[in-house]
Amino acid sequence: MVVLNKKAFRLPRVEREKFILLLRLGLEYNREQGTFCVGNYNNIEKLIDVLSEILNVDKVTFLQTCILCGKDFPCQNCTYQEMCATRNLPFHCVCPQCLKEGKSFQEQL
Amino acid sequence: MAADEEALMWVEKYRPKTLDEIVDLRDIVQSLKAFMRNPKTMPHLLLAGIPGTGKTTVALCIARQLFGDNWRTFTLELNASDERGIDTVRERVKDFSRYSRAAFGNVPFALIILDESDQMTGPAQTALRRIMETSSRTSRFILICNQSGKIIEPIQSRCAIFRFSKLDRKAMIDHLCCLAGKEKVTLTPEAAERIVDYAEGDLRHAINALQTAAAYRQGFVDEKIVSQVIGEASPKQVQLMINKALNGDFVEARKMMYELMGAYGFSGSEIVRQMQRELFKLSYITPEEKAELANIIGEYDYRLTQGANTDIQLSALLAQFAKVGVSKGETS
Amino acid sequence: MKDNLLWVEKYRPKKIADVLGNEEAKAAFVDWLKNKRRVKKAVLLHGPPGVGKTALVNAAANDFGFTLIEMNASDTRNEKAINKIAGPATSFVALDKFSTESKGNLLFMDEVDGIAGNEDRGGVSAILKIVDASQVPVIMAANNPDVEKLRPLKKVSALIRFQPVRIPLIIAMLRRICQKEHVEAEFEALERIAQNSRGDVRSAINDLQSLAETTRVLTLQDTMALSYRNRDISMDETLRTYFSAKSLLEASILLSRSSVDYDDLLLSVSDNLPRRYADVGELAEAFDLISQADVFRGRIGTENWHLLKYFYNYLAEAAAVSTETYKPFELISPPIRIITLFWTKGKRTTLEGICAKIGQRCHVSRATAKNDFVPFLKIALERQKSSPLASWFKLEPEEVEFLAKMNKF
Repeated sequence: MVVLNKKAFRLPRVEREKFILLLRLGLEYNREQGTFCVGNYNNIEKLIDVLSEILNVDKVTFLQTCILCGKDFPCQNCTYQEMCATRNLPFHCVCPQCLKEGKSFQEQL
Repeated sequence: MAADEEALMWVEKYRPKTLDEIVDLRDIVQSLKAFMRNPKTMPHLLLAGIPGTGKTTVALCIARQLFGDNWRTFTLELNASDERGIDTVRERVKDFSRYSRAAFGNVPFALIILDESDQMTGPAQTALRRIMETSSRTSRFILICNQSGKIIEPIQSRCAIFRFSKLDRKAMIDHLCCLAGKEKVTLTPEAAERIVDYAEGDLRHAINALQTAAAYRQGFVDEKIVSQVIGEASPKQVQLMINKALNGDFVEARKMMYELMGAYGFSGSEIVRQMQRELFKLSYITPEEKAELANIIGEYDYRLTQGANTDIQLSALLAQFAKVGVSKGETS
Repeated sequence: MKDNLLWVEKYRPKKIADVLGNEEAKAAFVDWLKNKRRVKKAVLLHGPPGVGKTALVNAAANDFGFTLIEMNASDTRNEKAINKIAGPATSFVALDKFSTESKGNLLFMDEVDGIAGNEDRGGVSAILKIVDASQVPVIMAANNPDVEKLRPLKKVSALIRFQPVRIPLIIAMLRRICQKEHVEAEFEALERIAQNSRGDVRSAINDLQSLAETTRVLTLQDTMALSYRNRDISMDETLRTYFSAKSLLEASILLSRSSVDYDDLLLSVSDNLPRRYADVGELAEAFDLISQADVFRGRIGTENWHLLKYFYNYLAEAAAVSTETYKPFELISPPIRIITLFWTKGKRTTLEGICAKIGQRCHVSRATAKNDFVPFLKIALERQKSSPLASWFKLEPEEVEFLAKMNKF
């Protein structure tokens, strides 16, 4: 199982066709850093399949971004994994620390 | 785990450390001491009997007697129901045999204690017998079980068998009072009787119940506290659940089933296992009725493994009990 | 203090960014909205109730300055209403209640699966006519788009799927509301509300508000009142018809027509069975059939769908065990779902870990530790969390917490 950070991750060199496919499926490429990031989520599931194939693993998983503290964290240690429909997808969530510490939204609801 | 650290669970703190300290098992202890006089001739042992009657204690005492303070280095403790299968057992025995210094004084072997060996399937036991044979140069096995009938013949014939029976009431009450005294706990005679009733010959249950009751009101244990403690324990809950079901009160019985799953985290098969045990103990139903109910449990135990929802299978099981209980009530 | 306002109203998201979760869906919806050259002029938002479909539509309209024209079930048959959106004038000119600052109009039909359900095929063709005639983009929302009847709609719409909202997000949202409403709540209580909602934010907020009606300090114990949940209407209707079926044939037909989730149905039937059959003999027979249905459900797993018919057969038979004894009753939903939610893999692993430690120390198996030692240890730790027993067993603080709380189910 491989865990990627949606904001920046590397991939082994792929052929041009695959590269174009990745871009079409929603990835963006930063030439200077040599890293990819997830630009849009419209084809996220297909994207994960392709990435899993490229990296030769069962399933590629992504870190979550905490909406309260901004840090990235994995789904691995989450208590609610079993009942989560979007587990391991590169979305936003609340990290275990913020949840435990009782932090809450800053913005006006 | 420092050797001199004081054990805080009373079942451990007051567990006899030498064979001589075990007062109730005179005959067994005599025979064992004879075997241990010449360790080279000590055979594999099979200790059989209901839970809480001293089998593990005896096994550990033997280890201490053979190896002294460092007994843990030369003893492998395994529990058949915890290991994932006979292969893990084989691996652990192999590793252990390889690394334990088998020559320690004049004891030419290391000790392997295998608890709950009657939980092993037939094929697993056959494999176990082979393991016992191949490691018999360097190890001796002490097999512990509840029902010796579940141990295959080839293993039984290779062991010296010791049968442990239920401690008698007076002995258990004496134990409890003695223990209470040492822990400076006031234990009323009625409370002691209640505990012993509940324990049904299992000294470990009795001591655990006593320790918990003592925790309720700092060192004072009377019958009321004991009832409360026992009432909250799961065997009692399971008994109550069965009673309610047999009385035809399905809804209440199912509520208790939810409690067991929710408060104790028991899985479906664990609850079924407990139901089998408690069914056996019920005094107000005939053996024929017990057989019928046991069959029903068996059927739903199987369905539990196939079905998708534990609570549905358990509910259906309780419903069958209600039907049987009520129809028997009508005819009697 | 009480302003008589529903919290789901008060805390309705006003901006897209405030809509909880479903980032995939949000992104897709915004893309569709902004795309002037969109391929499909209709979009169908689908997913379980309360996860943000309607909320997103309203928030997006707010953010982008669109005006929403809402049509409901009765409107779909109303000539005047249809003309309002079908006429060419509506695409640019503001009509009676529409704001002049609007950047455009959007037609919104919520709960189309309800509309379509009301009069077999007639309902769907009315909607199709509207989609066809509309001069403005059409947004539709549905709880369950997999019903046969909605197929024609799916053909003409872009589909966007909404998922249940993640539990931590819901908990954080509930916490925020508690802060603003001056309610003190235990973490475990909020956790329970969130878990019970199964990703339905609307019902989580409703549950919070109903519990807060009776107490300003919310404990885990208080959440036990959540046993009875607001349920999906079609499930209630299905159940009522199911239980009152007068023959096996009637029950079978009902099940084949119903669009409710069969896993939920199985559990709901099991929940309510004793209310249907007061006689234990009948109850036992019915439960035996339900149990067999469940066995088939287990065998189906995720692929053996050819076994589904046996599942439905047994389910139907359970309804028809004794058709004369039917008396109407109130449907319930007991806490079993909470139990299975509560005993997550994480909690089971924690319990296993504790049992392994006990087993090691006391020379017993993990199963024995669970049956014989844990109940007693739990009581001892409840009385005194700092009991030396905890350190003797080498229990971590989380494990001690876990044991102390185990009884409070």
